[in-house]
Amino acid sequence: MNPRALAAWSVSGITIALATGNPVYRVLVLLCALNLLVALRRPDASLRGLGVALLVAGLIATAVTTLASHTGDHAFLVLPSSIPVLGGPLTVEAAFFGASTGVGIAAAVLAAAPLSLVLMPNSLVDALPSALARTGAAIGTALNMIPGIARSATEIRDAQRMRGWRPRRVREWPDLAVPVVLTALEGSITLAEAMEARGYGSGARTHYGAVAWAWSDIAVCVVAPAAAIAFVALRLADVIGDWYPFPTISVPPVNGFGVACCLALALPALVWRR
Amino acid sequence: MNDITVASLEHFMYRYPAGGTNALDVAHLRIHEGLTLVTGASGSGKSSLLRVFNGLVPHFHGGTVGGRAEVLDHDVITTATRVLAAQVGFVFQDPELQSVYPTVERDIAFGLENIAMAPATMTQRVGEALDEAGIAHLRSRAVATLSGGERQRLALAGVLAMRPRMLVLDEPLSQLDEDGAYSVVSILGTLARAGIAVVVAEHRLELLASLDGRTIAVEAGRVADGAAAGRRRLGNAAIIAGAQRSIAATMAWELDDVATGPARIPVVEGVSLAGHSGEVIALVGPNGGGKTTLLRTIAGLLRPLAGRVDRAPGRVAFLPQNPMALLHRASVAAEVAWTVRGDAPSTDATLLIDELGLTHLAARDPRDLSTGERQRAAIAAVLAGAPRIALLDEPTRGMDDAARNALCCAVARMRAAGGSIVIATHDKNLVAALADRTIAVGAGSARELAPVAVA
Repeated sequence: MNPRALAAWSVSGITIALATGNPVYRVLVLLCALNLLVALRRPDASLRGLGVALLVAGLIATAVTTLASHTGDHAFLVLPSSIPVLGGPLTVEAAFFGASTGVGIAAAVLAAAPLSLVLMPNSLVDALPSALARTGAAIGTALNMIPGIARSATEIRDAQRMRGWRPRRVREWPDLAVPVVLTALEGSITLAEAMEARGYGSGARTHYGAVAWAWSDIAVCVVAPAAAIAFVALRLADVIGDWYPFPTISVPPVNGFGVACCLALALPALVWRR
Repeated sequence: MNDITVASLEHFMYRYPAGGTNALDVAHLRIHEGLTLVTGASGSGKSSLLRVFNGLVPHFHGGTVGGRAEVLDHDVITTATRVLAAQVGFVFQDPELQSVYPTVERDIAFGLENIAMAPATMTQRVGEALDEAGIAHLRSRAVATLSGGERQRLALAGVLAMRPRMLVLDEPLSQLDEDGAYSVVSILGTLARAGIAVVVAEHRLELLASLDGRTIAVEAGRVADGAAAGRRRLGNAAIIAGAQRSIAATMAWELDDVATGPARIPVVEGVSLAGHSGEVIALVGPNGGGKTTLLRTIAGLLRPLAGRVDRAPGRVAFLPQNPMALLHRASVAAEVAWTVRGDAPSTDATLLIDELGLTHLAARDPRDLSTGERQRAAIAAVLAGAPRIALLDEPTRGMDDAARNALCCAVARMRAAGGSIVIATHDKNLVAALADRTIAVGAGSARELAPVAVA
């Protein structure tokens, strides 16, 4: 798959997820993104951490809206009004609105997730336009150094602990932070030296294994943005209705064109193979 | 051996920006096709000299330069490193800090991308370089998953892909196990015989004994022609240190049926070992075999996945592979003083600094020292104050013979005082000089090797 096509798909998914408050469309975007991640994620990429984080974010959004809103006709619990902020009726409408917000956040994050869980970080950097090639190389190199810095921090902490370092106050943490920063700087200089020694900066560059555009990439690159543009246009024209549960909860309106725009995001999972 | 001159230095001098004296002062030097071995003590100027051949000195490091230096008909002083890079390949000492991209084949292609090679030719060159370096099986691997030896060969492949006419290597064997080192040596021999000028600075000379070539010796920045590369052995310290443990041994640490490894994945299993006071144990085995993992487990830095670890009361000293993990005070003396802070004043720290040849460097910032000098400073920092147990991970990395002898003396003295020492090393001479017992670590287990009779 072409990284630029996947980036176009991600932007399209995020656009639809954020253009509506209707949970039906948000759920459809979320399912399409999840389908793509399950089908195409890198073998070394785990979905567990992301899944847990999104679940927690969704629960927090639901809980905060439910506890703080107090708007809506159907109260299921009334907290004493003496409790600041939280006191008052807790309503079904607020709970659903909070859950819908959580789904929207999850859909947008999952639409962006393939850029890190499907592609290697450098694939995306390589896909930058040639005018940004040097910036891209700098970003790619920095990304490549992150694991080394984390290892170095562990190594330094262990070495200092073995010499009796037991931090009890915040002001003792520079004993760890300073050598980590210095080591990272020194590593950066050595890497810059190695890059210079391998001819970096000598002029125009070519790219190894540049991914060619396949018909499936072109299809994704055309269909996904077209779906996003159509969705936003229909939303602005009020053809695709939004959803607002206050004061009384109602069933979200569903429009066939809106559903079609969302389902168009399922295309990559059909035409791309890992 | 070919006499075609590839590089020459005439009345060449170089001083680092903050340097008080000349780092290099070379009256006359010629490098020919074939192998050239650069020898010299730690801090003598070997690395600076090597960096002249691809222009990193002076273009990357700055400073003051004079005289004349030519490499492959280019004036080094007026030609940028990135231009010389197309013909001069450079392999640095630390393979971990040379990889630019996260996958093997992508990293090898980095230099070819920089010279704007056509993608089709690049693919072919990457394949050839993988074969030449003997790492074709690693083509799709993530760099982060490679062992030190594999990484060094990756760095070599990245340079070979450029088809350089001159190849410069700064201590390329210092982190490799014996198999990995001989594999690199074999590649270097092939390249030298093919007419490429191969310039190697290395302390592990015994590994290069099979190669024909010239030797140049660097001392305090000055260069003299030397004899042909030959086998060197540890000196007096090896004899001093070779004495077996003599005092009544008490248990200092014990592993009982231990399984251990990072990220909860066992690297070694079923390990039952004990170390005693007044004893030196050597852990030997291939890169990635589990030597460091065992040391960290004994130190208490890694919790065992199964089994039990016991340590007798007392301080445990741990020397990590990277000495800069330890050294972050303003001077070598301050590093040593920090270790023994709170202890009663003793002459031990001063003696150790002197014994390791660091007296003239005691006021220097450790980050301004050469690799070998940093290693000695780190050893002084961990061994100061008479620890009960000392765990040393590759302590002779980057060390010259004199420094290795000094290390042997310091370890022998600690053993005589009842310390228990465990050394993970690829250095056979060090093992022969110091080890009372040798444990082979690899293939998921650790087993004791039978003692070798001393003639």
